[in-house]
Amino acid sequence: MLLEIKDVYGGYGSGDIVKGVSCYADSGDVLCLVGPNGCGKTTLFRLMLGSIPISKGSITIDGRDIRDMSTKERANLIAYIPQYHSPVFAYTVLDIVIMGRASHFSSFETPKTADREAAFEALKKVNALHLANKKYTAISGGQRQLILIARAICQSAKIFVMDEPAANLDYANHQLLMEVIGDLAKRGYCIIMSTHSPEHPFSVGTKALMMKAGSVAAFGPPKEVITSESLQSVYGIEMDVFTTRDRYGVERTICLPVKGLEANSLKEV
Amino acid sequence: MSSAHIEIKNEAIQRRRYRLLMTGMFILLVVVILLSFGVGYYPLSPSQVIMAFLSKFGYTGDLLPQAVTIFWNIRLPRILSAVFIGASLAVAGSTYQGMFRNPLVSPDILGVSSGASLGAAFAIMLGASDALIQVSAFAGGIAAVFASYLISRKSAHSHTLSLVLTGSMIMSLCNAGVTMIKYVADPNDVLQQITFWLMGSLTKTNMASFRWSFLPMVIGLGLILIFRWQINLLTLDEEEARSLGINIKKYRMIFIAASTMLSAAAVCLGGMIGWVGLMIPHLARALVGVDYGRLIPASAILGAGYLVIMDDIARSVLSMELPLGVVTSILGAPFFIYLIIKRKERT
Repeated sequence: MLLEIKDVYGGYGSGDIVKGVSCYADSGDVLCLVGPNGCGKTTLFRLMLGSIPISKGSITIDGRDIRDMSTKERANLIAYIPQYHSPVFAYTVLDIVIMGRASHFSSFETPKTADREAAFEALKKVNALHLANKKYTAISGGQRQLILIARAICQSAKIFVMDEPAANLDYANHQLLMEVIGDLAKRGYCIIMSTHSPEHPFSVGTKALMMKAGSVAAFGPPKEVITSESLQSVYGIEMDVFTTRDRYGVERTICLPVKGLEANSLKEV
Repeated sequence: MSSAHIEIKNEAIQRRRYRLLMTGMFILLVVVILLSFGVGYYPLSPSQVIMAFLSKFGYTGDLLPQAVTIFWNIRLPRILSAVFIGASLAVAGSTYQGMFRNPLVSPDILGVSSGASLGAAFAIMLGASDALIQVSAFAGGIAAVFASYLISRKSAHSHTLSLVLTGSMIMSLCNAGVTMIKYVADPNDVLQQITFWLMGSLTKTNMASFRWSFLPMVIGLGLILIFRWQINLLTLDEEEARSLGINIKKYRMIFIAASTMLSAAAVCLGGMIGWVGLMIPHLARALVGVDYGRLIPASAILGAGYLVIMDDIARSVLSMELPLGVVTSILGAPFFIYLIIKRKERT
């Protein structure tokens, strides 16, 4: 197993926020983390990235505990793709992508030809080579996400941790990004992404982890995890989960918040 | 795919352009330095400058003995000081701006200059020798940054924010100390000396005082130049930077230590010379882009050239010598405003 999280506890010193989470993912997996705000998704990410200490349990990559790795070693295995962000300085897209090479050359050096080639190669993989010399601060949110994915590819990590990649994107870019994520999984990357949409696990996910108050509400294939009952227990609102076929006959699943007649009549009064 | 090749080619062209620009700037710096030997109350012609230079190596030609003294004892230490102070302040400014993710940060952000001023004012008040004033200024600068750093570690805020907050607190504390010393100082003697020192000037530099500051400047410049590319990673979020494999704490320490040495040594040698550390990094960014791999060398060369020219102006524009700090402010402020307006138009 590529990534294995075993009964992990951790938080920010004042107490554990993640309380006994276990899950796993292999290469080719897209593991979607769902759950309400404050349920511990981001904290779990920080634990995986080694930003905050694990107080109990273990996280292993290829069987090695991440606590036994140096920052550089960890960077070669696990890459972080933050939400839409805008750096203070107007770096070019290439500058940003090359930063992914930081763990590949000595800190005494500046990037070499091989690093530039790797960056161009990574940009090619996400179809963004034409942006290479543009200012990162001048491109759209969707393009920025692509560039950050290119940086992660350039980092040559196997696991990509994505913090709500779809947030702040318009509808078309959102769809495009989901395609890119599915594509990455097909190429053998392991994607861990948090999301606020219960439909994402169905569209791109191979596994889903539903969290509530720091612990696991459900973990497994999306169909078993995301159900009308589990959604209601976690979000506290009534939801229906439909499975239907689109015009090309592909099976699609839709999650819909429902309002009973009672709620409607209340509104009218 | 043909458009792809264009981007790769464009990048190669940009790199060549950068190398050309750096070579051009370096040659320009050398020319400015050579011409500066002729500028001052006692002007020297280029041929006199060359002869004065050669005189040390056995050349005995038709040359006034004053020219030799002016070249070796007055202008050389002064120009060397301007070169190193300019480079130090500009590099320290660039580094701090990256580390604190704020393009408005100047080398004094952690209270170096204020601490150094307090140290110097204190030594002047006690009637110390010039060498002792320098040592005291250096110690004051280092102590101020050390205090900022230690106090900020006790804070619950994010590291960067608390560093800036404690830095400005230490700064105002040191400034209060300087004001207090000025208030009680003898206006006929000590006060004048303190005021002169605070204005920033290279009039008093000699080889001995330059030698004092040379070592910390070379160490600071060397450290930042070696690790310069890593500053790029520090401009990102801490989480993001760590995920890219950088040991943030270690590099933050290295860059703070190096920048502090640079600023403290610069203040020791030339007093309070404002604007260079804030302005030159912006000028350098406009020329070579924001990548620290290029920005640091460009800042060093531009800072050096800028201060040499400013000092030339300070000593030649009027019959009496102007304080360098005043010149950099009077000429620096409008230039900086122009730069801000021009940058805004472009984006």
